[in-house]
Amino acid sequence: MASAGIVLCGGLSSRMGRAKAWLPWRGRPMLAHVVDVLGGVVDEVVVVSSTRLEPPPVDAPVLRDRQPELGPLAGIREGLAHVKAELAYVTGTDAPFLDPAFVKTLLGQGGAAAPEMDGHVQTLAAVYPRSGLAAAESLLAAGRLRPLFLLEAVGYRKLGEGELPGTRSLRGFNTPAEYLAAVAEVDPAATATLELLGRARLAVGRRELEVPVGTLGEVLAHARPAAELCEGDRVARPYLVSLDGRQFVRDARIPIGAGEHVVVLDSSVGG
Amino acid sequence: MYGCHGHYWRFDLSAGRGELRPLPESVLRRYLGGVGLGAWLLYREAPPGVDPLAPEAPLVFAFSPLVGTPLTTSAKLAVVAKSPLTGLISDGLSSSHFAIAGKRMGVDAIVLVGRCAEPSELVDGALRPTALWGRSAGEAQRALAERGRVAAIGVAGENGVRYASISNDGRHAGRGGLGAVMGAKRLKALVLRGEVPTPLADPARVHALARDLSRRSLGPATAKYRELGTVANLAAFNRIAALPSLNFQSGRFEQAAALSAEDLRPVRERARASCASCTIGCEHIYGFGEGASTRIEYESLFALGPLCGVSDPEAVLAASQRCDELGLDTISAGGTIAFAMECGERGLLRGVPRFGDAEGLMALLDDIAHRRGLGDLLAEGSRRAALRIGGGAIAFAPQVKGLEIPGYEPRALQTMALGFAVGTRGADHNRSGAYEIDFSDRADRLHGDEGSARLALETEDRAALIDSLILCKFLRGVFRDLYAEAAELLAAVTGWPVTPEELERLGRRVVTLRKAFNIREGWKPEDDTLPERFLSEALPDGASAGASLPRERLGAMIRSYNLARGWTEEGYVPEALMRELAIDAA
Repeated sequence: MASAGIVLCGGLSSRMGRAKAWLPWRGRPMLAHVVDVLGGVVDEVVVVSSTRLEPPPVDAPVLRDRQPELGPLAGIREGLAHVKAELAYVTGTDAPFLDPAFVKTLLGQGGAAAPEMDGHVQTLAAVYPRSGLAAAESLLAAGRLRPLFLLEAVGYRKLGEGELPGTRSLRGFNTPAEYLAAVAEVDPAATATLELLGRARLAVGRRELEVPVGTLGEVLAHARPAAELCEGDRVARPYLVSLDGRQFVRDARIPIGAGEHVVVLDSSVGG
Repeated sequence: MYGCHGHYWRFDLSAGRGELRPLPESVLRRYLGGVGLGAWLLYREAPPGVDPLAPEAPLVFAFSPLVGTPLTTSAKLAVVAKSPLTGLISDGLSSSHFAIAGKRMGVDAIVLVGRCAEPSELVDGALRPTALWGRSAGEAQRALAERGRVAAIGVAGENGVRYASISNDGRHAGRGGLGAVMGAKRLKALVLRGEVPTPLADPARVHALARDLSRRSLGPATAKYRELGTVANLAAFNRIAALPSLNFQSGRFEQAAALSAEDLRPVRERARASCASCTIGCEHIYGFGEGASTRIEYESLFALGPLCGVSDPEAVLAASQRCDELGLDTISAGGTIAFAMECGERGLLRGVPRFGDAEGLMALLDDIAHRRGLGDLLAEGSRRAALRIGGGAIAFAPQVKGLEIPGYEPRALQTMALGFAVGTRGADHNRSGAYEIDFSDRADRLHGDEGSARLALETEDRAALIDSLILCKFLRGVFRDLYAEAAELLAAVTGWPVTPEELERLGRRVVTLRKAFNIREGWKPEDDTLPERFLSEALPDGASAGASLPRERLGAMIRSYNLARGWTEEGYVPEALMRELAIDAA
């Protein structure tokens, strides 16, 4: 039976402090990693993104969630409306250890299926049937927004820990500490690059420094004592910090992953 | 009256005489000075639909309540006119002793109308033939320096180059062709000297506030300007692929390091200088050639360097200095030449230097100023040139409403793109500080949205207030609460019991008056856009690779902006809003 993968990346990543879709993982943005792993298992992959987030480039169509405020069920609805396959494996963005065998086993149930761990049904690592689209619409209209309601509406099989290979697939991360711990497991010597421009470069006397990964504050601390780039949990006002030259950030508590470039600029950019 | 004089000097160059006209306190309090008062005077003095180069078109020099006080960066004036480049309002701010001298004449503004019978200079209120026609603005200033403070045009202004500047004390009211307006009046120089003091409402308080502001102006918020100057933008913009290069075909320039402040400063910086009455000292003087030196700013560096594909700092510094001598706006000069270079590459124009041809660039600057050969076409600016060249060239002419785009790549800085599109002056980085939003964690710089509109609007209102006070925008990071602190400064200088809310309203009033002037002069909603290139081509490389700005996205941002301003969705100003903001210029 043909199968699809739906990757939801509409969350706010508020505890992480930055979009999880962009977090580096094995040399790519997290979203690209998940799309690639899924692409090796299923026939088609789609990404459902909120209008609030510009996702990293991926080898899959990116759908815009029309109602991101309704949570993941609205994203599942968008994905099911787009895919051609009868069954779709749905996952969030933060699935760093996603195992193809785990996905295959769930899809192999032939219908809706979801793992149950510690008494909780894992609805964002589950298989949904395309035929459930109408039920999803009805649930959304009724304000019943939990994906579990959709699984219950279509009828699904629960799989316990012993029935699934690669249950590490269920491990995600919601906080900087969880992400950095996962990075350390994969590469204990992971480094990022601290790239200095303007006054920071003049003060430190270097264009860039290779530094261990950590929180942004820990990375910026490597410019000390020549330059104090942080004030408490924030980037110091005279400076701007950009991640890989794309997104500007001020929260020094966010995590910096392997291979990332932390670019330090002067904050007064006018003239 | 404290802080102001209550009248302006209106001089008719055709008749050779001037008169004082009253400026009611109610007008001064609603518009202050600078771009606010200048816009009010332009609206009243310009006959509707006037040709910007006609004798009847006014040229306004507007001072402000803060000019002449000990407040740092307050020695500023706004030069305001209907632009020969855009056909809309244009104003240029300049910092110099000329502003102080003008205010000491006992006036809050000077309005020039008419046309001299022959090339002339206006010195101490008397018009006389000039022997300086054909000389550089700098030469004119030096020749007349004994008679007072001088504002002068170069050869470009004399020849009606639509982006000619007006120079004073080595500073320039650069954008929009104000020098061409002065040249059309056959006025080479305006020389001012005065002894009339402006009384302050609370001198002790003013001095205390001035000391505090000066102290804060030396802090970290202005450190970049002091230590590196605006030139520091170049490497930073290049890193995030927001540095326009090769006529906006890319946001990156491979040889950018050669032009970066970080690399240039150690070997080329000769001195640092300040404008009149300024404690920041943002001017960085770089050496080049055999003993020559020039002040260099990011906008000149980008426009005459990466935009034209030129990477040799010697060449770029020389070109920047040459623009100053000729009286050319460096942004429009570089933008128009870069456009011509691309036309040459596409086979639409012959005899154009190729990208990177520094000698060709230098020669073209002189041809433009003298309107020789191809220079005559390019003296018209990129929009008019594109329409004459045809072949779809208008799609990549780097302008909005005719004003060439400064050094902020719109696809990489999409809130700034909105600021450019709706700017009353055209593509404008000074009346809109929307780039500050792009360089923050408050918006996605590569994906502007309707939320960007409100943020862009706020930067415009703040700029309108700062430019009417007038203070330098490099102080903006120094203020904890701009509106509250500005109210305190104004109260000490003028005695007016102004409130922060009144000043927020003033910012909105000034922006809306400028828009009302443009509507009167023929602005249409379709003018608020960007050239086709920006709406149909994605950026090719670097940290902004793939960034695009679809027409629908920009349109949605513009509609949100208009509605947030209280204008119609299309951008017209309702009569009720004019009344609500007490705009009475009409």
